[in-house]
Amino acid sequence: MPLYFYIDRAGVLHRLHPTVKVLALFVMFWSVYWVDHPLALLPLAIVIMLAARSAGAWPNFYRLRWLFVMVIFFTALAWMVFYRRGPALLDLGIIHLSRASLLFGFGRGLKLAELLATSVVFLSTTKIEEFTVGLLSIGVPYRAGFAITLAFRLAPLFMDSAVTVYQAQALRGYDFNRGGPLARVKRYVPVIIPVFMGSLRKANAMAMALEARGFGRLSQPTSFIEYPIAARDVIATIILIMIAAAYFMIYYSGYGAISLK
Amino acid sequence: MIAKPQIAKSSAGAAPAITVENLSFTYHGSDEPALRGISFIQSAGEMIGIVGASGVGKSTLAKCLNRIIPEFEGGRFAGRVIIGNRSFEDLAVHDVAGAVGMVFQDFEAQLFSTNVAHEVAFAMEQAGMSRAEMVRRIGPALQAVGLAGFEHRDPTTLSGGEKQRLAIAAVLALEPGVIVMDEPTTDLDPEGRAEVFALIQHLRAQGLTLVVIEHETGELRGCDRILLMREGAIAADAPPGELFTRIDLLEESGVRPPDLNRVLAGLGISQPADDVDQAEVLIRCTFPNLPHPLASAIDAPSDSMKLSAETPLVELNDLTFSYAADRRALDAVSLKVMPGEFVAVIGQNGSGKTTLAKHIIGLLTPERGRVMLDGRDRSQLRPAESAHLVGYVFQNPDHQIFAATVEDEVKFGPRNFGLPADEIEHRCAEVLRAVNLEHERAADPFLLGKGQRQRLAVASVLALRPRLLILDEPTTGLDYREQRRMMTLVSDLNRAGIAIVMITHTPSLVAEYARRVILMRSGRIIFDGPVGGFFAQHELLRTSSFRAPEVIELAARLGTIAATPEKLANWIRDHR
Amino acid sequence: MTELRLMWRNTRMIVLCAISAALYAAVLVPFKVVPLIPGVTELRPANAIPIVCSFLFGPAAAWGAAIGNMIGDFFGGVGPGDIFGFLGNLFYGYVPYKVWQVIAAGESPVSRSPLTIAKYVFACLMASMLCADVVGWGDNLLALRPFSMLGNIIVFNNMLAAVVLAPFILLAVYPRVRKGRMTYEDVMPEIRRPARITALCGLAMMVAGIVGAWVIGNLISTGYWMPAFMPAGAIQPPYDRAMALLVSPFIILAAAGLALM
Repeated sequence: MPLYFYIDRAGVLHRLHPTVKVLALFVMFWSVYWVDHPLALLPLAIVIMLAARSAGAWPNFYRLRWLFVMVIFFTALAWMVFYRRGPALLDLGIIHLSRASLLFGFGRGLKLAELLATSVVFLSTTKIEEFTVGLLSIGVPYRAGFAITLAFRLAPLFMDSAVTVYQAQALRGYDFNRGGPLARVKRYVPVIIPVFMGSLRKANAMAMALEARGFGRLSQPTSFIEYPIAARDVIATIILIMIAAAYFMIYYSGYGAISLK
Repeated sequence: MIAKPQIAKSSAGAAPAITVENLSFTYHGSDEPALRGISFIQSAGEMIGIVGASGVGKSTLAKCLNRIIPEFEGGRFAGRVIIGNRSFEDLAVHDVAGAVGMVFQDFEAQLFSTNVAHEVAFAMEQAGMSRAEMVRRIGPALQAVGLAGFEHRDPTTLSGGEKQRLAIAAVLALEPGVIVMDEPTTDLDPEGRAEVFALIQHLRAQGLTLVVIEHETGELRGCDRILLMREGAIAADAPPGELFTRIDLLEESGVRPPDLNRVLAGLGISQPADDVDQAEVLIRCTFPNLPHPLASAIDAPSDSMKLSAETPLVELNDLTFSYAADRRALDAVSLKVMPGEFVAVIGQNGSGKTTLAKHIIGLLTPERGRVMLDGRDRSQLRPAESAHLVGYVFQNPDHQIFAATVEDEVKFGPRNFGLPADEIEHRCAEVLRAVNLEHERAADPFLLGKGQRQRLAVASVLALRPRLLILDEPTTGLDYREQRRMMTLVSDLNRAGIAIVMITHTPSLVAEYARRVILMRSGRIIFDGPVGGFFAQHELLRTSSFRAPEVIELAARLGTIAATPEKLANWIRDHR
Repeated sequence: MTELRLMWRNTRMIVLCAISAALYAAVLVPFKVVPLIPGVTELRPANAIPIVCSFLFGPAAAWGAAIGNMIGDFFGGVGPGDIFGFLGNLFYGYVPYKVWQVIAAGESPVSRSPLTIAKYVFACLMASMLCADVVGWGDNLLALRPFSMLGNIIVFNNMLAAVVLAPFILLAVYPRVRKGRMTYEDVMPEIRRPARITALCGLAMMVAGIVGAWVIGNLISTGYWMPAFMPAGAIQPPYDRAMALLVSPFIILAAAGLALM
């Protein structure tokens, strides 16, 4: 089953073993953690862009272009308020604009954007069953993995019914946009109740159907889904470990930080 | 009178597959027993059908067979259930999975995996089978249900019939001796229904022991025996040929007798008929003087559309719409609906029926073309004006019901439009009377039965006093009694002057109630005319896989057009 | 806290968990009303769902909130719900019914007496604050965003949904779910409650931990206050080390308190 961002094509990244993909997420997280300076974050951005290109994920990036801009802008702005270090170039009271706060804030924005971009690439190349396999391989128990898969399967069904209910109430003259923001939040009651009750009607049927197929008998059932490890997985793992090591070395040798002078 | 329960002897004398002894059950928190002393024996390889109105205990009985009751749904349980020669007392539901397979009505609620092969493997994973064994079994299971080649498909992309067949394959993979199906086709369209029943016959031929709960009695003619349930007990246990001739008993029990049997009974013929051929032979033997039809003798429809000078309530001009760039959901559709009409819109899933309706009510905006309501452009109308012209009842009443009481639910619409309190009160009383829910005013809508909820949904739309009511599949999932009640309501409304547009899959409803049929295919209207004329178009019916009701077919063989068994029986008596 | 583990043995609870998660995600995605700070947070009617589910499904709702938030992130593209978002939402779904068991055992959360309303608001406030503490602390720990930014937005957001929207949904669904015998108490009658005195101690610890983490987190991240004993390297923005040293103990205290309840 495809996730919302999934792009159906048989690229190298698509075919990577789920465990390797999960490892890639960790490596990205690890790598950005050790450096602050935007320049030090740049190589990683290039790696991610190459990955995005190879995965054919540009349409997703285009779709989220404003989100990326906003994340970088607002994070930078927030740190200009809180990161009050280095000689001020401009002091507007609440905003402390210095070379250091500028670099730091922009660096943080870039970090978040890179994490976001990594996950977009991940989502563009990973199906839900692969995601679950990835989770199981890092030690998540079978039943939790099952609940996650089931929730992923149900969410679009419930979304459809939420939209239908929304239309049904609108047709009976219900105006969702009346009142201020607070009142507007409250006006979702006639949508949420039918969706909620409808899903509960399903809950019992689903639990019964599960039990009737033997669910609950073993805590660790056997698995039909199998992902053999290929040469590309080994190569990808080596590259990922090298990236992780490189970023730790940058930190260890004192680069990548922001000087206050 | 309810027949005394008796242990029916299994017919073939083979080893019993299911033995039920004096089974009684009362749900937690209820005083009324759901099952009262049920006993029967089913031989291996036998197929039993269970019929009865909603709430008589059919599902409860089915759930007792694989221990969902009392293990999963608690209550007071008495009696014994033996599968093969094993009693499963003290075992949990999941321990019985390999012996008794169960298929449920709601196919969405019994698919859990992200691809077809994995769905079939699911139960085998739970049983701890090796991957090699799973691979060995998946192929034959999918083959058996006709889904070979679908291994890598996402179950959410399958049609309803395919989903239900997949659910059956998932159960077959464990190779259980007994398969219980609880209304497996109630939520399906006629095509999906035909697929599933063809599969059931196939499984039966392979010697599986089957228990099938079903509303449509016609589909159960192939069973060895039918159990008719009433108030938690077995009121009759007989082969279908015998039971289906007892029209009064079935009617009293809220079960729709097969149409052919109704015609024969209406003529005083006591033998059963399994299909239209047999029925024709029986009728012609009894009434040898019946005329033989000539192709031309089938009268042109008498109820031809009246040409009137009135403004059409709905006028669609050259309407075109697509959800995706490569396929048109509506392709240059034009049509008019006049005040007071009763139109049935039919066609396969995805033919554009609902898309068409959504344009009329303004949930979709056409790419090209125009929607006129009562002579005015729909895009110029205020919501209150259009609500007064068209009302739309969604297929699933649970998609709109949210209020704490029936009364509040009905008043929701009028309140939104800011009507004065006494007017709201007046309308509420009026529509509740119309849908026969005036005694449920203070009831919690969520605790009502499906049929009542459906009528409540109609009432809450009626409270806005539309001149045209669009109903999407108003009888889905209703039993015979509730279907009748619903359709009586709709035709009463129509007689009171409200135009009806009904989207439906059920041929008998079209034949019995509608006056005009619109048949859609791939976003186009391929037939638009009176009902009588429609059912005379055999070629069109065949190519649109819309099966005419048996009574219409039989009438055609005899040279007339009749929509109901009663009308046909009358015609035969007049012409003998 | 054992029921967070025990519930995975119960098929119905697993289904209810998946349903809570899917509902959360299903309302989250199509109805993102107003982005408060784009890319950071938005006014979400969906935030009422974990509260409602908590009162109904107890531990299943806790896992459901965590998984649902993750799915929402997946669909919305905010990133594969980082570990702190997961943990924060787990608490958001866990705290309400837990607190309710201690301060209002056996009472219906939809009664309109002023005392019940006060208890309800208290339970929701604790849940919202602990969620905010965990997410704010985690983000600041990684020096991605300051505690006081995300932490306070989350409290505000969650409380808004909990007070303005959740009661109306609960009012409609609670009695019906009770009647249908689908509450966690019906489905998992084996849940054991600790002795009253233990539970009260736990509650006190939890409150101290939640409030402490919130106050200290805000003070530190805004730079208003820093205890004198802190080493010089920790009293500089982005205050990640100070967070680790000073807020972590309160989070642990809150979690320990919850474990006793």
